[in-house]
Amino acid sequence: MTIQQQRALELGDIQSGALRERPAPYVGRYLLLRLGDAEQGRELVRRLHALLVEQDRHGPSDPQAWLTVAFTHAGLAALGVPQSSLDSFPAEFREGMAARAEQLGDVGPSSPEHWEPPLGSDAVHVAVSVLAPDAPSLEAVAERARTRYADLPSVEVVWRQDCYQLSTGRTSFGFKDGIGNPDVEGSGLPLRNRSERPIKTGEFILGYPDETGSVAPMPTPEVLGRNGTFLVFRKLRTDVAAYRRYLRDRARDRDEERLLGAKMVGRWPSGAPLVLAPDTEDRDLGADPSRNNSFGYRDDLRGFKCPAGAHARRANPRDALEDENSVNVRLHRMIRRGTSYGTALPDGVLEDDGQDRGIVFVFAGAHLDRQFEFVKTQWINDGVFIGVPGESDPLVSGAQAPTDFTIPHVPIRRRLRDLPPLVVTRGGEYCFAPGLRALAWLSGLETPQEEP
Amino acid sequence: MTAADETTRRPGVRVGSASEFSLFFRVIPGHAEEIRAALTALQRTPGYRPGDYEMAIASIHEARFVLFDDDTRLLFATSFDGSWDAYMEDFAAGPLQLFDAIFQHTDGYAGLPDVSAVKDFILGAQVTAAAYARNYPGTVKELRRANRLREAFDTVLDDPRAEEALGHPALKPLLDEAADA
Ligand code: HEM
Repeated sequence: MTIQQQRALELGDIQSGALRERPAPYVGRYLLLRLGDAEQGRELVRRLHALLVEQDRHGPSDPQAWLTVAFTHAGLAALGVPQSSLDSFPAEFREGMAARAEQLGDVGPSSPEHWEPPLGSDAVHVAVSVLAPDAPSLEAVAERARTRYADLPSVEVVWRQDCYQLSTGRTSFGFKDGIGNPDVEGSGLPLRNRSERPIKTGEFILGYPDETGSVAPMPTPEVLGRNGTFLVFRKLRTDVAAYRRYLRDRARDRDEERLLGAKMVGRWPSGAPLVLAPDTEDRDLGADPSRNNSFGYRDDLRGFKCPAGAHARRANPRDALEDENSVNVRLHRMIRRGTSYGTALPDGVLEDDGQDRGIVFVFAGAHLDRQFEFVKTQWINDGVFIGVPGESDPLVSGAQAPTDFTIPHVPIRRRLRDLPPLVVTRGGEYCFAPGLRALAWLSGLETPQEEP
Repeated sequence: MTAADETTRRPGVRVGSASEFSLFFRVIPGHAEEIRAALTALQRTPGYRPGDYEMAIASIHEARFVLFDDDTRLLFATSFDGSWDAYMEDFAAGPLQLFDAIFQHTDGYAGLPDVSAVKDFILGAQVTAAAYARNYPGTVKELRRANRLREAFDTVLDDPRAEEALGHPALKPLLDEAADA
């Protein structure tokens, strides 16, 4: 399908989770619901739709809490979506994350048989997330949402995860997260990266031209697909003590510990990118949204400032691969809306305290396969693209075997050996967050309005 | 390493970092001369000139175009680092366009207007190798790095002080290679 004319972005129809920046600080809650009855399920969708319409009226700058509603493939089936429409979704969404586990590297302790129930099972139908600037506004919205299903006995909450930003403003390993996000054409958000053109809307929202000049495959009928986006959520447990012990063992002193940690991430704990601050932490840079994501790797192709294998550089190599003609980085971008869960491991503690802590990784994009799955399998789990097939992401690959990590350095590169696995997948789902009109359509399914 | 120990679920057999990729096309009747001319022209472009070693697509190990059956058919065979399946859209969006002048003389080619057209065109022509093996491990990037290293090492060995310099115990593995490097 080639699009003849550019369509204006229907911001009012798109759920806010995708194109809106998360409040900072934030608190969040993720709920998974199981629908026991299609009619009550549609009633739930009708009521959530009304909440979303109301929320939309407040506009993006209002610091109130916001809600995002998404469905798994099983969830759409439970609502009574016609088979032809269910079949029109891309294969990876139909199969679901658990079925793709081996490919994604979710094996060993990360494999679906060890996931938190009911993640990865047919019992997960609806995903609801609420994000808010503080606990009271979160409770207010969560309560409003709860009253929407309280009198629907067949709607059951099957999983819940609370999230909040740690008091340090950092995620569990100690680094600020959520900085590197693409500038999206038409989103109205301020541009953060002056060294790259904004990415086409169709890479993130269905129904618009994408970077290939086509429109991403959309489910039918059109009303269901348009303005929707695919969401991935993954609960990732982090072994912070193992991370700290590893650095303590390998570093000569505390300063070098901090440097090695920064090399693994590609940024300093404040968020200051290594290419802009190669030698020392720069808190002002880390805190400045107009500068902390405005950079490329052209001047650092050999990785003396930021190693090619650093997590953030793997996950988005920016302009580093431009001369190679084998990959178009713009086809593999993602909007991330991750949040932290669990308490911080107190400073200086090197022994695991048994507490569960990590991030709920959230992806939004139009292509599960060439965005999320590509980045995870080709760039994070694998090192072929940077010419180091034996190395995977030093921080988050989840690989079972220890990995090496090479840090280019004049005169002699440093190679960290046998980094232990630091992240375990606790479960996750592929979801579809429809636009508001699509939600209305879903709630009215008893009279399916097939498009001509 | 043999083809058999790698997954064959997707078209293209992978051995280590590299996947083989073989496409069989039919030449449009009457276009034999044009397609031969297009291939001759390709052979003269930078990267394809014998001895250039700098093909536009950096992840490719080698590539060949073979006209056969009296120029009625065309084989394009290559191997590259990565999985074809993952990179299909990247190739469709850019590098394959480099071969437009050739593909336009093959059946079923209607330009490459969008990704799904490219997928259809390519997948329709692809045949998975029944046997595939490589004689060296490693990615193009590693091999280039290894070549740079070898050249540097050669330069060191050409220096009359090399033996003395390589005498240090830390350099023993290099000295072991020096005798017939
Ligand atoms: C526990 C697991 C993870 C942790 C602790 C983590 C942490 C981080 C941190 C600290 C940054 C740098 C700050 C920033 O740019 O926002 C970052 C960036 C990023 N991460 Fe992760 N991450 C995790 C998993 C993942 C996974 C599984 C993916 C993708 C499949 C991913 C994709 C990205 C991307 C795309 C960026 C931005 C890169 C850029 O645009 O420069 N991360 N992550």
